[in-house]
Amino acid sequence: MSGLGPLTMRELKKWYRNPVFLITGLIQPFFWVALFGSAFDITRFVSGADAKVVLDGATNYITYIVGGVLTITGLFTAMFAGTNIIFDRRLGPMGRFLSSPIRRSSIVLSKILSAIFRILPQALILVVAAILIPNGLVFANGFNVIDALVVVAAVILVSFIFSSIFSVIAIRMTNMNSIFGIVNLVNLPLMFMSYAMFAPGMMAPWLSNIAQYNPVSWSAEAIRTVIINGNVTTSAQWTSIGWWLGGLAILAVALILFTAYMAEKEIRD
Amino acid sequence: MTDIITTKNLTKIYQGHIKAVDSLNITINEGEIYGLLGPNGAGKTTTINMLTTRISPTSGTAIVAGKDIIKDSMGVRKSIGVVPQDLTADEDLTGRENLVMVAQFYDVPKSVYEERIERLLKLVDMEEPADRLVRGYSGGMRKRLELIVGLVNEPKILFLDEPTLGLDVQTRTQMWSYVREIQKKLDVTIILTSHYLEEIDALADRVSIIDHGKILITGSPQELKASLKGDVVTVTFKTQEQADIMKRIPNVVEVTDSGPNSVRIKLENADDSLPDVINYISSKELSTVKLTVQKPSLDEVFLEYTGKDIRAEEPGDARKTMMNLRRLRK
Repeated sequence: MSGLGPLTMRELKKWYRNPVFLITGLIQPFFWVALFGSAFDITRFVSGADAKVVLDGATNYITYIVGGVLTITGLFTAMFAGTNIIFDRRLGPMGRFLSSPIRRSSIVLSKILSAIFRILPQALILVVAAILIPNGLVFANGFNVIDALVVVAAVILVSFIFSSIFSVIAIRMTNMNSIFGIVNLVNLPLMFMSYAMFAPGMMAPWLSNIAQYNPVSWSAEAIRTVIINGNVTTSAQWTSIGWWLGGLAILAVALILFTAYMAEKEIRD
Repeated sequence: MTDIITTKNLTKIYQGHIKAVDSLNITINEGEIYGLLGPNGAGKTTTINMLTTRISPTSGTAIVAGKDIIKDSMGVRKSIGVVPQDLTADEDLTGRENLVMVAQFYDVPKSVYEERIERLLKLVDMEEPADRLVRGYSGGMRKRLELIVGLVNEPKILFLDEPTLGLDVQTRTQMWSYVREIQKKLDVTIILTSHYLEEIDALADRVSIIDHGKILITGSPQELKASLKGDVVTVTFKTQEQADIMKRIPNVVEVTDSGPNSVRIKLENADDSLPDVINYISSKELSTVKLTVQKPSLDEVFLEYTGKDIRAEEPGDARKTMMNLRRLRK
């Protein structure tokens, strides 16, 4: 009697029945990969051999940033996961949930789960768009099922991390504007203080120092490694991927447990 | 009769010193409609919230449907249905989808809830709009939906917190007949709080008047009215001096102030004693502005026990009330 199933279903119904919400969410990844891929394309300033270094071995800039943009898409959608908690409180359904025999953590976890379900089609569209655009994503060294699993795992984990953080913030909040303010404050810093767009060597040292602790970097780097190298064979690369995904997994589990604990304890009308 | 709810010194203290509910001891019988009546901040909603386990008591406890509200709050939630004061349905889903979602909260199997939801929709004449989005419902439709959402788990007890707040008179009377129908057909005990005395009068088998977190009196509406021992004549004069002279009228049960230049006189039987009052007024040459005779009503009972006029009260949380009204009128 957890209520997680029906509550998640409710969130998804609200999503796919709202055409604006659905379509903008699905177009957005296309815009991002096309715009970011052009706007930040640093290879225009460096010649052939140097470009290989700058891009960490990727064929072109789009191939390089797909990992970053996939992560950012997850991040930006996840950051809004908590807002519906505030809507439910303001519009009344929270009262119904609190007097039903469901776990209180389900109210919050359903928002997080539905955010993940919304992110996955976005990620798929993003990859397809990146392949289709001119001078787009190239799998120069192949791409196998394990690579795909690494990509999906990284996106899901980073989404869990940030949707948990922003849900915890929303648990006690009653004002929508506060959460929007916080999202606006941290979204771009989270993106630029990471390796999502640029290689560590290209960043100011202080920025790069911070970026290495940003989960956004871990996810972007893990995805990038499998996309650029295809059939990853060297153990050094596997070790790196293991560290990145492991770090993301530990953080995600810890944050979900914390969110569930806070929801059980703190959520009210 | 069997008790279905028993409270044992149920107490809620807010912020360390505000006693919202003070050692409440009430028993509610199985199958009755029990009304809880009281002015703003009297502790009605706090009591309901504790009995429905939305908040926990500071001390004391209650047994609801055989389960302790503190030790077995999940067990209590499973046995009760709640229709809160606020509208709780999701506007982006249809009426039926809202009902299904709540049925799933109680792990009701699909084969059972489908048939049950159909029956409940029929009970409140909501079959036709059931598959439309709640957003397009009228105020009355939304309230009817709320009423049956509280019944999808076939509760033994149904809590109705201000079920007709913000509805027009016609819709309200219609809601009353649905509530009676529900009690009769589903054999459920109903706990009702209301701001409308006529609602309690029309529906409740028994009523408690609560103020400052304490029960002042409990009885059937008829008993309470009879307990007033008499009728009330209210006279308004042009000046306060005249009102003061009126207060010296002999041979009445009680005389009290009743607002500016007004006097409230209690008589054993207005039919016999009204001429005496009128004779007194003319003998003292007082000029009356208004004279009303009231047979005992629940309003008078309320005024008698709380010293307050319920009509002057604004219900509940002002922000939420306004929001509900806005949504009901859409």
